Amino acid sequence: MNRETIVGTSAPRVDVRDKATGQALYAADIDLPGMLYGKVVRCWEHAHARVVRLDLSAAAKSPGVVRVLGPQDVTANRYNSSVLDLMVSEQMHDMLGDIEDQRIFTDHVKFQGDAICGIIAKSEEAAERAAAKVIVEYEPLPVYLTADASKQPDAIRFTPEKPGNLAFQLPEPMFPGHALGGGDVEAAMRDADLVVEDVFYVPKQKQCQMEPHAYIAKLDSTGRLNCWTSSQMPKLVQAKLAKLFGLPMSLVKVTPTVIGGGFGTRLGLISEPQACAMAMSVPGHAVKLLTLREEDWVISPSRHPGKYWMKIGFRKDGTPLACDARFENYKGGYYLDASGTAFTAGAWLGGMYKFPALRYKGESYFTNQGLTGAYRGYGNPQTNFVLEQLIDRACAQMGADPVEWRKQWHKGVGDDGWCPGVTYPSCALDECLDRGAAAIGWSEKRRQYAHQSGTVRRGVGVAVMNHTSGAMPMLLEHTACTVKLNEDATAEILFACSDMGQGSHTALKQIAAETLGFPFDHVQLSSGTSDVAGFDIGAHASRTIYVGGAAVKKACEDVRRQLLERAGRHLQVSPDELDIRDKRIFVKADPARAIEAETITRAGVYHFIDPATGQAGGEPGQIQGYVSFFAPHNSPPFGASFAEVEVDTETGEVRVLELVNAHDIGRAINPAAVEGQLEGGIQQGLGFVLSEEMYYDGNGRILNNSFTDYKMFGPSDMPKITTILVEDPDPVGPFGAKSVGESGLVSPVGAVANAIFNAIGIQFTEAPITPEKVLKGILEQGVRDYGSIGGAH
Amino acid sequence: MSLKHDIEFALNGVRKRVAVDVTMTALDMLRDVVGLTGTKYGCGEGECGACTIRVDGQTVNACLMFAVACDGHDIVTIEGLAADPKADALREAFVEHGAVQCGFCTPGMVVQAAHILETNPNADAATIKRGLEGNLCRCTGYKKIVDAVESACCGGR
Ligand code: FES
Ligand code: FES
Repeated sequence: MNRETIVGTSAPRVDVRDKATGQALYAADIDLPGMLYGKVVRCWEHAHARVVRLDLSAAAKSPGVVRVLGPQDVTANRYNSSVLDLMVSEQMHDMLGDIEDQRIFTDHVKFQGDAICGIIAKSEEAAERAAAKVIVEYEPLPVYLTADASKQPDAIRFTPEKPGNLAFQLPEPMFPGHALGGGDVEAAMRDADLVVEDVFYVPKQKQCQMEPHAYIAKLDSTGRLNCWTSSQMPKLVQAKLAKLFGLPMSLVKVTPTVIGGGFGTRLGLISEPQACAMAMSVPGHAVKLLTLREEDWVISPSRHPGKYWMKIGFRKDGTPLACDARFENYKGGYYLDASGTAFTAGAWLGGMYKFPALRYKGESYFTNQGLTGAYRGYGNPQTNFVLEQLIDRACAQMGADPVEWRKQWHKGVGDDGWCPGVTYPSCALDECLDRGAAAIGWSEKRRQYAHQSGTVRRGVGVAVMNHTSGAMPMLLEHTACTVKLNEDATAEILFACSDMGQGSHTALKQIAAETLGFPFDHVQLSSGTSDVAGFDIGAHASRTIYVGGAAVKKACEDVRRQLLERAGRHLQVSPDELDIRDKRIFVKADPARAIEAETITRAGVYHFIDPATGQAGGEPGQIQGYVSFFAPHNSPPFGASFAEVEVDTETGEVRVLELVNAHDIGRAINPAAVEGQLEGGIQQGLGFVLSEEMYYDGNGRILNNSFTDYKMFGPSDMPKITTILVEDPDPVGPFGAKSVGESGLVSPVGAVANAIFNAIGIQFTEAPITPEKVLKGILEQGVRDYGSIGGAH
Repeated sequence: MSLKHDIEFALNGVRKRVAVDVTMTALDMLRDVVGLTGTKYGCGEGECGACTIRVDGQTVNACLMFAVACDGHDIVTIEGLAADPKADALREAFVEHGAVQCGFCTPGMVVQAAHILETNPNADAATIKRGLEGNLCRCTGYKKIVDAVESACCGGR
């Protein structure tokens, strides 16, 4: 039995009434007096070109124009729009080399949509009209859309520091042979009775957050640069802007606005540099910079696509012996976080099964596709698509049940997680598999679908995953949090990490209220602005509850300790003997001996000395709690997904009938919010595996930057969804919680692919598995009964 | 230069006169001229439904409608719905079911859902899904949105 009363309930979300009535203010909704409008002129014609002439004179004379800005008119400093450089140690920094390869306005276009110059005008329309008058002449350069193309010796270098356009490979000193893992892979493969191997392609998926990027910037009369942004990382944006413009951080103020979806796309900077450069050129005026949807597609980073080779060896009895893999991703024109996904895709691979030998190589190559960066799952769906299909291929050939095989060979408590030396403190994956299998009717359906006839076939599939709770130990994991008690014993918490809509601030309030022993409504939590909030990395790596929640809990414990000490002196007992419920502090053994928290907080603020007696009325001092918290561990969540699909072998269409997402989340602080994460994750996972990809023409120009041409699952496409929250409290996480933000989309990917395999006996190596690919597969390989494959039965 | 045009219409039950460019969309007029920012720009091409409003009782993508076309019509936005007690149950259902995450799609969703319920008070889940087909949400997977609308429809009975 949990003794908590607030944690574990679906407390109403703190932000939703404003959102449901249209009152929540997103960046584009903010209107400041005398505001000007910015427009970034982008290169739409080419994905790789040099600017040979830029003529801004006609644009400058266009009615309503205030300023035009070319590359010469803004700082020449370079930057990296990701935040990776702020999160790694100096030693790791040296291994990455110079990764600041972006300019506010460029003369070397490296992807379609690269920024050329900027216009500031009195209205949006005036800025648009002037933008059309900018004259740019380009010298087109060869366009490299894949790693195979850009790594050719005669290819133009994207940056002098990276020969062969190899933006990143696992660095030698840390990863011998540029590979992650250990053991003798070659020898183990020689011993294998069964080897499965294939080359896969994983797609360029877009976050498609519904709010297009929007910014306001202003250089105020004190010389402070202000930026309103919906970044997922307001504090790191402050640090980045300060560095880019050569300002002390005290002269950069970032105000986080309501975030209309993030999913990784708002990690770090997008157009903050352009918005701020414009504002710096018109001191005293706010400049609003909006993004058109078709522009949003090309300027913000997507998921990393690429080629993923994998080979796995097994003994006859199913024992896995070795896994050998290489993921070569197509980075896009700039470095951003090139080391990130190249590493993590292999980290999740290493964290999943007990391979005695593992060798994973991850490489990022510059290409002229659109930027890539963080996207919910961060390398994990890519690995899931590849690994989980190969496991099922092997299971089919060995006659093993995919659920039973996974139960036997997944890693668990005490095993190394995705980073060697950081072991799993908890793992409830078996329960996820058992409950998920029961929910979908696994055994009966597998039997039933092993032999089918007719043109419409059904299949069920399973996949599992491990993810992460924060980025420790690879990246900095630091959060500061301040808790202030008002005189009426209500608490106000300052915590810079944004709520992207997932409900994290509500869950954090629950953690705070529970820890303090205060009612939920007597606790307030805000991210503040960068000038008042302490340091925080931001919302990424599924860290907000696991790391942020632990920080909030610690800061609240600090407050609680101070309250109990004062109460203890008043009641003349040791603080250990006291507890707080509903703001009443009482002696545990004798609850009638009590003092209201408010008596203490009021006396602390309104403190007087009785002039007659010289006696103080209570103890002076407003109580504040503070922590500068570094996560001591990482407790990854696990998940099992089960999918049932129907494949029309005449049209190639795949319909997902049901998706069960069983998740080992440790403890659900707010169950409804956790379900929301898993359900939303499913929609994106289904898109990855079945429908979503950014397509380019041969010149690197995007073909489908619209919601009509880029197919996301709509309400009627969605299957029946069942989410199962498996709660086995983690010994480290706050109240036993692990993360849930990203992981829900990962295993639906493998589960659907495996369900298709179960339905028609064909595996597809290219995601998304569109009807065209299904038809082509059927044409080439023919529909096969799953029951007739290898030893499958 | 663009031409200005005077138009008059009912906005959330109140008469409104404004001068607008002939090229302006109803969405820009609502957001920039009238200052009602509850209606959102998500795509500008009629694909996402974030800009859904009601015009004479029908739902319309405000980004596809010229502002001048509002002349003489009855326009209801999320702000109007927010003040409408009839829509309370629906809004509360969104809140209680956890149908709101980032909230960017929510105003359009609520306007569209109100329309579905008004035209089909006994709508079942399949009808609701079809009715919401033009409203994209990237956060929720739609489950809790459909649940919320369904509960408002049946719970309201
Ligand atoms: S903004 Fe009108 S439909 Fe998207
Ligand atoms: S709640 Fe974010 S798009 Fe629907």
